[in-house]
Order: sequence, then structure tokens, then C-alpha cells
Amino acid sequence: MGGLTAEMLSRRLVVLPNELVQSGVDLSSIQPVAGRFEVNQDAVCFVPRFPFRDGLSYSLIVNPVNDTRPVENPAVWTIQQPAREGAPTTEVVAIYPSGGELPVNQLKFYAHFSSPMSEGWAARAVQVRRADNDEQLDGVFLEMEPELWDRERRRLTLLLDPGRIKRGLAPNAEAGYPLIEGVPVILTIAPEFQDAVGRPLLASVERRYEIGPPARVRVDSADWRYHFPTAGSTDRLTVEFGRPLDHALLEHCLWIHDATGKELPGRGFIGAGERRWRFEPMSPWKESRYRVIVDTRLEDLAGNSLIRVFDRDLTRAEDAPANGRYVAIEFTCESTGSPTTRRSQM
Amino acid sequence: MSAQSWAVTTSKYGLEAGTPEIKSLGPLTFGPDGILFVSDNLGATIFAIAVLDAEEANGQSEINVEDLDTRLAAYLGCSRDDVFIRDMAVHPSSADVYLSVMRGSGEAAIPVLIKVGTDGTLSDVPLDNVPFSQTSIEDAPAEDDDRVEVRLVQGDREGEVMERGDDRFRIARDQLRTVTVTDMAYVEGVLLVAGASNEEFSSTFRRIPFPFNGNTIANSLEIFHVSHGKYETASPIRTFVPYGSNTSVLASYTCTPIVHFSLGDLKSGVQAKGKTVAELGSRNTPLDMVSYISDGEEYLLVSNARHPLMKIACQDLDRQGPLTQPDEPVGAPRQELPHKGVGRMANLNGSHVLMMQEDDGGNIHLRSYEIATL
Repeated sequence: MGGLTAEMLSRRLVVLPNELVQSGVDLSSIQPVAGRFEVNQDAVCFVPRFPFRDGLSYSLIVNPVNDTRPVENPAVWTIQQPAREGAPTTEVVAIYPSGGELPVNQLKFYAHFSSPMSEGWAARAVQVRRADNDEQLDGVFLEMEPELWDRERRRLTLLLDPGRIKRGLAPNAEAGYPLIEGVPVILTIAPEFQDAVGRPLLASVERRYEIGPPARVRVDSADWRYHFPTAGSTDRLTVEFGRPLDHALLEHCLWIHDATGKELPGRGFIGAGERRWRFEPMSPWKESRYRVIVDTRLEDLAGNSLIRVFDRDLTRAEDAPANGRYVAIEFTCESTGSPTTRRSQM
Repeated sequence: MSAQSWAVTTSKYGLEAGTPEIKSLGPLTFGPDGILFVSDNLGATIFAIAVLDAEEANGQSEINVEDLDTRLAAYLGCSRDDVFIRDMAVHPSSADVYLSVMRGSGEAAIPVLIKVGTDGTLSDVPLDNVPFSQTSIEDAPAEDDDRVEVRLVQGDREGEVMERGDDRFRIARDQLRTVTVTDMAYVEGVLLVAGASNEEFSSTFRRIPFPFNGNTIANSLEIFHVSHGKYETASPIRTFVPYGSNTSVLASYTCTPIVHFSLGDLKSGVQAKGKTVAELGSRNTPLDMVSYISDGEEYLLVSNARHPLMKIACQDLDRQGPLTQPDEPVGAPRQELPHKGVGRMANLNGSHVLMMQEDDGGNIHLRSYEIATL
């Protein structure tokens, strides 16, 4: 290379994204792509500080514009980093709530994907429209940055704008609820939603919901219906809630303790429409005392939990917040006859 | 920072040399002695990193970088659409500007901590062999909760097999519940962290003592606010700023009211009720807050997604009683400023407010405004 050092080269060679060169910006004011030049006998190599982006073109500019002399027509070579190939494979595997009706003060949706996803697509790819006239409803979701994902980036939590749901706040007074009671809606997840490797979804997904009256009372385990199993069986214990509850919280807010207070091994199942929870023990039920433990953070579709109404009217004494981290419903399994039950706060 | 003061800082705050494994970059804030707190929402971790920067001020009273996003795209070798500026912080002694940036998203995403020199020169802050410590932002399970969260899975690609009698089923142990940090501030030995859960809606505000003491979460605080004396709700704080010599905090919720707290309540209680001092109206999200002192009076700026930049005098906040009537539209008096498209803000040397501004063409500029002109 005629005795040129990497340092000398780096003053005469510049790498920039090609689209930037094409955009006509003043290149003399732009810092080039971070990296270093290496000289190896007759070859010069550019090692970028950050890997080149798939599918992007880069320009190597010789006799660069940051030279002190004005340069009319620098030589430009363009290199294309190949795009990754691949057909879409990712799909939406579930949307919760899974039932057909929502309260008008619905607070959250969850979308589950079959593979990890890219962030930054929720606001573009998830829409809600009226089912009666196909008119898109604007401002339904809270624009969250960053978005709310689980660790694997496979479950997205979408919050409906809480300012429009809470009574007494200006957004609610000005714009009303995000949803309209009596007007069915269709939630759509468009295929443009990119997975973690940048591929679109296999298909769009739609879910229709009827919109009912607001839900605004605490979730109360005293109102639930219980079907207790008989001793000696591995029958499922069933709890019916009487209203749909939050799917994500149901996954870990209910479990069973044995008489010694240890968690009973077994499987929990969330019923259709999130209206029911079943538990199947690993080993047969004994003639013994058990407790259904409920984490009081468990919420319904409108964010009302066992201890708190989502937006509490201070004049309603019955809505006063309750205390306690857990509620326990005690029951005794017997071989015959009805089990006895008792409910307590923990 | 000199080698000697570096060693003192390292030992004083329990830092150890190494390479922090940062998976993503989110909110930033500076703590004592030039320690930069960096939140990593993907890794569910907050890092405290001793940034090796000058102890002396850089001598420049302002910094202005036009087309910051284009410059970052060139420097990072990507499209402008692939540049995500997550937060901005100003080094307390050198007054250099630090940006948390993600290049790209998904598997290809690269977290980059960028330092912006006074002349606009960009450099990525090396994170190899730096003094650092870290703490988890995962919720510690309750002491009496020994459960392992599992879910049933189909197929044989993930999870582990459990057997019961003749039954075989496959389970995965997921960490579905996450807390996403939306803002941080350091006040007198405590890192205050606002975050949102991806499950329950109620608010928790974390107080993490620094130096980190190994406890995953020191304690958290439930936050309420009352609208018009009639409705009480619990909601996550999205952004906040301490002011009044660290006696008060102005915070905004995801549901937009602006709320005043006493910092004493935030630092010692288990529950805190904020005083709603202003409402910002519908379809608007507060983006950032900053405090500054002009002519001996303290002021706050609030940047908004849809509303103009707002200026509020702290003494008006202190005078403002809680909003009690639904037809009270404004609360504390505020002035709308003409600066367009303001997102992140920071106080620069006490003389300027640094603003990240997006123009109508979507270009992002970093501009300094003299406090006397605001």
C-alpha cells in the first residue's frame, strides 16, 4: 500500500450508510460509521465498531470530504450487506381476554406470540375498530414507551388508556371511554408486526368483542362457587368466579396449600373465558384439610382486585380498600358427604 | 476522573471492575461521584457504572447538535429508523451529555451508551473493564411464597418433562411478570425507580439504597392519587423529578394527572397519597420533567406527547391545593412555551436546559436554551 498507515488511510477513506450519502446531507459535517481501518500488505480492511446491518448498503468514500481541500466528486463504492432470507413462521397463538364480552372500562389485552418479537410495533400493528361500521377507534391504547413485554418477548401487554377509563379525570370527561358500551369492536393484529428476526407474522388475527356495562366492584372470593373433590380421588377442584378475570394474573394468583401450609403439587388450568380455575393434584386428595390461596392482587378485566376498586368512589363505603396479601378458603376433603369450608384473610 | 479518585469511588460504592452484561438500555440518571445508573429492562437489572469522565467542567455552557438522529445513524452504521434514543443524562462534573441508544430491535438490537462531546462529536462509552455494580429489578417473591411459576407446553422444543404415574407432561418455567423501568432519580443514598408491571395495574415505586446491598429490592411503595376529592386510584408513575432541595417530587402518572409528593413520604412510607396539582387533558402523555432555578425561583418544565412544553413555578405548586372540582381544568398555573416537539430534557450546568426536539420532518435535534430565556 505504498507505506500508507491505517491512520493515514482513515483520513482518506470514509464508510457511511449509502442512504445517507444519497440523501444529500452535507457529508463534511457527518461523523462516519464507527470503526477502524487495518492495512494488510496490499489490502485495506474496515472493521466496523458495530456489525453491518442486514439488507443495508454502505458506501466507501475515497478522498473524503473531511479533507481540508474541497472535493467535487469523491469516488464512491457501494457494498450491499445481504438481507436475511426467510418466510414468516411466527403467529399469534392467543389473545386475552378470550371471552366474547368486555366491560366498557376494559383495562388490558394480552397478545401471545409463537416466537420472540421485536419491540416498537404495537402502536402500528394493533388496532381496534367498530364492528358495525368498520370505523377505527383512535386513542384506545396507552402509548407505552418502552412497551410492556415478558422476558421472552412473546407476550405483549396492551393497556387501554387509563386516563380515559378513570372517572373524574380530564381525559375521561373530554374523550369518554376508549370503548363504547353497546358497540361491538374488532381487535386486529396486523402481519406487519415483526418478530425478533424481522419477519412479519404468518397472518393477521382478529377478535370480536361485545361491549357491556362497566365493572366497578371488588373481586370477592366469597361470591365464587367451589366444587371440592372427594378424598382418594384425583378429581379436579373447581372455582367459578362469576365474571371473567385477568388471564395473566390467574396464572399465578391461585394455588392450594395442604394441612401443613405447603404448596400442593399439581396443575392449574384456566377455564374458557377466564371465568373458572381448576386444579388437579399430582397425588390423590387425602382425608385432610386444604386451603385455596388467592393472591389479592388478582384483578378482573377492569383492574378491580380483591382489595381495591380500580377507581374508587370515596363516598361508597362498600368500596373501601381491604387489607391482606392473601385470602384463604379452607376446605376438608372427605370420602363421602359435602366438604366443610371456611374463608379467612391472611 | 484520576486513577486515585477512581479507586476511592470504586471502594466507597462497592464497585468492582468488569464488563456489565447490558442487554438493553433504558432510563439513565447520574448518582454520586459521577456514577451513572443505567436501567436494562430486558435484563431486569439496574447497573451503577463509574463513568471515567473529567472532574472539571468542560467549559462549554451549551451544546447544540442538529440532526442528532441522522448523526447517530451514520455513526452506528444503520438507518435513521433503527436509532432509538431512550434517555439522556448530563454528567454532573464534566457536563458531558450521555445518551442511552438502541440500534435496531429484536435479535439484532445493540445497546450503545453514547457520549456527546461539546462540539457534537459522538463516541461510544467503552464498557469493558469498568468499575460497576448491579441490582435486580425483579420482584422478590414474598417470603412465604415458595411457588415456582410454571406453564404447560406442547411439543418437545421447550420446557422440561414432569411425570406423575403414567402421565408425562412438559412444563416451562417462565418469567412472564416483568417490571419496566420508566424513570429513575438518585436522592441522598437512594435510587428512586418508577416502573410499570406488565400484569397488575397498581403502582409500585421502588427505593433502592445505594451502594447496592445485595437485596434484590429494598422496598417498594404503593402510590395513590385522588381526583377531585371523589375518586381514588392507584396508577404507575411514568416520569418524575425531585425539586425544592430534595424535599418534594413532582410526578406524572400513566393516566396524566401531575401529582406532588413529599420526598419524605416516598423515602420512608409503605403507602403514599399524592396531591393532584394539575391535569393535562386527554390523549396526552407527559414525556419528561426537569427543574431549574432562575432569579432565585425554582421552575419545572414538563414535556408532553401532544400538549406544548409547560412551565410551572414550584411556589405555585406548593400553594396549589388538591384539585377537588371536576370543572377545575388546570390546577397550578402554568405557562406554555413555544419550543416544539420536546421529548427528553436535562439541566445543563444550571445555566441551560438541554432539550431533545423533534421537528415536523421527524428529525431530532439536541438544543440548549439559556434559562433566562425560558
